[in-house]
Amino acid sequence: MKKSRVGLLVAVALGILPANGWAQEDAGEAAAGEQAGEGPAEGEGAAVEEAVTDEGAEGEGTDEGGGLEEICKIDPAACPNLDMEKEAARPLREELYAVQQIFVIKAGRFELNPFWVVTLNDQFVNHPAPGAALNFYISNVLAVGVNGAFYRPFNVDREFNFLVRRAARVAVPLTEYDWSAALNFTYVPAFGKFAGFSDFIFQYEAFVVGGVGAISTRPIPVIDPNNRNPDFEPKLAFNAGIGLRIFFNRWFAAVLEIRDYMFNDKLENLSVVAGSEADPKTWTDQTSFTHNVQAQLGVSFFLPFSFEYRLPK
Amino acid sequence: MSEGRGMNTTKSKTIKRVLSVLAAGCALFALPKPANAQEILLTGPLAGAPAVMKLRLYREARFEFAPSATFTLLDEYQRTILLGARLTYNFTDWFGFGAWAAYGGAIQIPTHLSEEIQTVNRYRKTQEPNSLSNRLTAVNLGQDFKDQLGSIDWVVAPQITLVPFRGKIALFQSIYADTDLYLFGGPAFVGLSERKDCAAEQCTTPASFEKASRVAIAPTFGLGLTFYVSKWSALGFEWRGLPFSWNTGGFDVAGGGPDQEFPDNAISSEDRRFLFNQMLTVSLNFYLPTQYRVSE
Repeated sequence: MKKSRVGLLVAVALGILPANGWAQEDAGEAAAGEQAGEGPAEGEGAAVEEAVTDEGAEGEGTDEGGGLEEICKIDPAACPNLDMEKEAARPLREELYAVQQIFVIKAGRFELNPFWVVTLNDQFVNHPAPGAALNFYISNVLAVGVNGAFYRPFNVDREFNFLVRRAARVAVPLTEYDWSAALNFTYVPAFGKFAGFSDFIFQYEAFVVGGVGAISTRPIPVIDPNNRNPDFEPKLAFNAGIGLRIFFNRWFAAVLEIRDYMFNDKLENLSVVAGSEADPKTWTDQTSFTHNVQAQLGVSFFLPFSFEYRLPK
Repeated sequence: MSEGRGMNTTKSKTIKRVLSVLAAGCALFALPKPANAQEILLTGPLAGAPAVMKLRLYREARFEFAPSATFTLLDEYQRTILLGARLTYNFTDWFGFGAWAAYGGAIQIPTHLSEEIQTVNRYRKTQEPNSLSNRLTAVNLGQDFKDQLGSIDWVVAPQITLVPFRGKIALFQSIYADTDLYLFGGPAFVGLSERKDCAAEQCTTPASFEKASRVAIAPTFGLGLTFYVSKWSALGFEWRGLPFSWNTGGFDVAGGGPDQEFPDNAISSEDRRFLFNQMLTVSLNFYLPTQYRVSE
């Protein structure tokens, strides 16, 4: 009885021993990727064609070896009467998709996209900021979502402004940002894949995005900094941009976006109204249609992580 | 018998202990281990196949001639559009050597800031010459501010090109094009026009606001995308960094005081500031010979 228990214990322990899996040889990895839907950049059609040819050859051999002949013996009327050479020479008019199998199905999934903002077109004040976007994909190419960024502690008044003021005695009205938020629509018209060093394959897509929201800004007092201290005010802002998303797997990607946020900005009054220096109404006197072009570098997480793949046909 | 039973009991205990230790050992081995990649042994036609088959080698053993327009970015006082071309010979599909040359003297557009400065400057010139503003800006502002702006007149840049990524892009899932992403780098020879040097007390005369030419040598590097539209042509987009020091506004900003960080009423190399100049290029690429080779 005791021996049995020990024997059982040993058997159980042996049974649950983990089996080591070994990585496949380099030469096969790419092909494995192909099987998993990571088709090669160029040879996809060729590879599939070869596979089909092989299958065909195999099937043909089987028929000749017995299956087809047996059918012909049993029921000559059902015997296929095909000139195989003629059939083989017949031109194929098979519909081919530019990208046979989409790597990531996004329809019905959420995209969480934390990013960092880099200013591209303001040589006077840099507006770096952390931000985030949340999108829901209505279809594989169309998404609706929101995004926002928090600029307030990160505005940088560049030394260039000081140099211009000192050299030319001309003050440039400066603006700093507090936050921005927008409702956006994203459309993905282009996607594709790259082979890196002819060794590995990754998928990417390009998208256009546009939306409407608000951005909170205020002038940085330059003309009369002793008296002026304006508050941040939100302004209606439209945005439009383009982006590139590079997928590392089916739920994680790197994202680069170039987005132009357009709004009417209030600028500091270049003159001081004598006697009303402390009146906030005199601190600003002009508006300027401003383009805040920024790069948004980040990563995307697609939720849920997995999805059910449905072949396009 | 009793001795034999006793020996049997001892042996039995020993065997049990050994088995128990083995079982415990096995159980320890059964603890989770780092997983290795899954083993997939392909035996079909894809076994041993490269990542890309039947690759169209657009670059290998071909010349690339690419007329281009280059737009400077984040300019302080003046934007430049450089018209030029890139000529590259690609030894392989991933490595090429060539040069980019462009002329920027034809299209130079002052920024809004330059116009603002000149508006103020024009007004000041109508005022009393010894006014405070005129005296304080006498070294820095000539009759027309736009005439003293530094400019990139030409660039010649021998460069190597590496093409690590080749792929394709589908547009609306109906139009598709072969693409590649490349990196390039090399030295650049930049022909500049800047306000010429002048010594203290000599920088307020109209002649001191004239410009002089010089050649700056700087590293240049960047990355680009190529979209092949036919066997022998493509569209190209490129970002280029070209960092070097130059005096963009013709101002006296340094050379005096502690650490030479204060104006010294003279224009010299001390007044040049290090700028990370950036450019975007759009090109139409032609490949010769017109036929490409296809890989296995």
